[in-house]
Amino acid sequence: MILHTFKKETKELWRDGRVRIAFFIVLLLTTIAVFISTNHYKNVNEQYVEASANEREVWDNQGEKNPHSAAHYGTYAFKPKYPLSLIDQGVDKYTGTSIFLEAHNRNEAQFIAASDQTGLARFGDLTPDFILLFMIPLLLILIAYNSITKEKERGTLTLLNSQGAIGWKIVLGKWIAIFFPVSILLFVLFISTGLLLSNLPDFGVFSWSSLFALFVTYMIYYAIFINLVLIISASVKKSGIALVLSLSVWILICLVLPKMASNLAEYKYPYPTRQEFAANVAKDKKLGLDGHNPWSKAAKELEEQTLKEYGVDSLSQLPFNYDAYRMQKGEEHEAEIFFKHYNYLKTQYSNQNGIYQTLATVSPYLPTRFLSMAIAKTDYNTHWDFSDAAENYRIETQKFLNDHFAKESKLGEWGFKADAGFWKQLPKFNYEPPSLSEIMKTNTSSIIIMLVWFIGSFTLLFFTTKSL
Amino acid sequence: MIRINNLTKTYGDFTALDALSLHVNEGEIYCLLGANGAGKTTTINLLLGFIKPTSGSAYINDINVVEQPKLTKQHLAYIPENLMLYPSLTAIENLDYFSGIANKKFKKGELESFLEEAGLQTSAFNKSVAKYSKGMRQKVGIAIALAKDAKVLLLDEPTSGLDPKASNEFGQLLQKLRGKGVATLMATHDLFRAKEVATTIGVMKDGQLKQQWSVDELSLKELEDSYLETMSYNTLQS
Repeated sequence: MILHTFKKETKELWRDGRVRIAFFIVLLLTTIAVFISTNHYKNVNEQYVEASANEREVWDNQGEKNPHSAAHYGTYAFKPKYPLSLIDQGVDKYTGTSIFLEAHNRNEAQFIAASDQTGLARFGDLTPDFILLFMIPLLLILIAYNSITKEKERGTLTLLNSQGAIGWKIVLGKWIAIFFPVSILLFVLFISTGLLLSNLPDFGVFSWSSLFALFVTYMIYYAIFINLVLIISASVKKSGIALVLSLSVWILICLVLPKMASNLAEYKYPYPTRQEFAANVAKDKKLGLDGHNPWSKAAKELEEQTLKEYGVDSLSQLPFNYDAYRMQKGEEHEAEIFFKHYNYLKTQYSNQNGIYQTLATVSPYLPTRFLSMAIAKTDYNTHWDFSDAAENYRIETQKFLNDHFAKESKLGEWGFKADAGFWKQLPKFNYEPPSLSEIMKTNTSSIIIMLVWFIGSFTLLFFTTKSL
Repeated sequence: MIRINNLTKTYGDFTALDALSLHVNEGEIYCLLGANGAGKTTTINLLLGFIKPTSGSAYINDINVVEQPKLTKQHLAYIPENLMLYPSLTAIENLDYFSGIANKKFKKGELESFLEEAGLQTSAFNKSVAKYSKGMRQKVGIAIALAKDAKVLLLDEPTSGLDPKASNEFGQLLQKLRGKGVATLMATHDLFRAKEVATTIGVMKDGQLKQQWSVDELSLKELEDSYLETMSYNTLQS
């Protein structure tokens, strides 16, 4: 009965001109979106490779220079573009692509793509994730809204019942017939994207398992949507009402609730403004050691403590350049302050996430969105992770430079210059993004919520259509 | 084949069916006549298990329709007043699907022979049913019954809206099924068609079976007079 209904529904859908046109439009849009994204990805990736190499070359070829001057001169940590960002660009557009690493300061990522766009960008981009998250659910509504109401309106349901049809089996057949073409469409999209990515030079950390996880995530999202639309179709008598209700659910799930979640999160757990943040950091910095100021109270305390530790009477007796040592201690103090303030931002982010997770119980869009971004490595978590890795590299770089300065020079030798070959000894910045299993662990709550939606909507569909 | 004993259906104070009892044996065609709201469709819906009786019992092939509705449906076929099919599918595809729902699987040739037996012209077999006339759709309905090998046929105003030729063809089909031993219960307004095809005619009013004749007992004129008399007598009574 299920297979029979599946075959019949597939024939009906295929012969329905509206569905064919809608599929064609979605396929066309998807192809265009993938094409645009591929070009964008290739461009950004080429820029990344070129910029990383150039920046490193500049660093390596500084010539003879004072290490602390080099620390101020700084370098860049470039955020790699991950292959699956081709499917879901996530928040990449808003988080910046590179972080300037210098002495005494932890900088925000800069060169935010969104800031270069015109006002038209507010209307949204034609990206694969836009099609996957918004357009395909609309296509599903178009296919499924009258799936059951048309049987009632035509009167075929009565004939089916007289033939001994079992409600849930008929609906399952219809369900598969709706799910099947969408899954084929998605499968083709993902496979072609996978092949495309595998053949791109410098395609980074592409993995088929991540692509598969993304595919499964979207499949579950669509299954939930089909369930909701079929529940509506089974619960009302008229196709028109089913269409209006289904579209209302789409608006609520995909537009209203995410916006509400975002506003509520920002209202309950606001981030400090850039000015507030800078003022708080500056205030805390003043309370501790400034590596450049030997006359402050904190500097005097460090001096006394160091002399005592090494059992000497004067700084010149120390086996290293105390000025460089003090600067390193100053760096460590500043790093702690940045750590504290960035941790506060992270706590706010985590609290905001809590609100998103709560509202995800009423909108399957939210967990899907979070999982999709996370798997594509374009979410805030990955950005934080990159930002932390860049900060750790900055701290290591400062230590590397200050230690060399301290070891190789004497107190007051501000004119000391490191050899031209010294810079090459600094390890390169190598960022390893979280693995798929780590991502899954971090997003367990989204996975659970999606599964609850999946099972819950199926159960409700079963009971709604048990006796049609 | 069809056995109805004191079947009653009430909705609050309203009695849609009042202690109806009737029997339709193998190879018999029982026509239920009556005005709208007389209880004819309620009787058919009760036999189909679409609604539950307030009291009484009904059996299809000795199977209680209330206790075993799924099993009952294996033995019956139903053709409503307006048989609606899937418009984008052909007659063969519709027949294949509805037979499949009843767990009957046939090859294309077998499906064609059912349609042929039901009187549908061969050239229409593979055409979409969207442009079928009502008569052609009813023939597909008969083909569905034939494919199901149903021993009981329930018809709800099947000839209403059919042109005389189509109505006549439909009557002939019923006679063919009768010859195969199918027990048919047909609700209709069409006195003349009832006289032509039925073995027994019952007149219903206000949910009650008021009169019942064997078709051989009366001529068409006597049947018409008795029918009108029953209807008006009861109208005067009420």
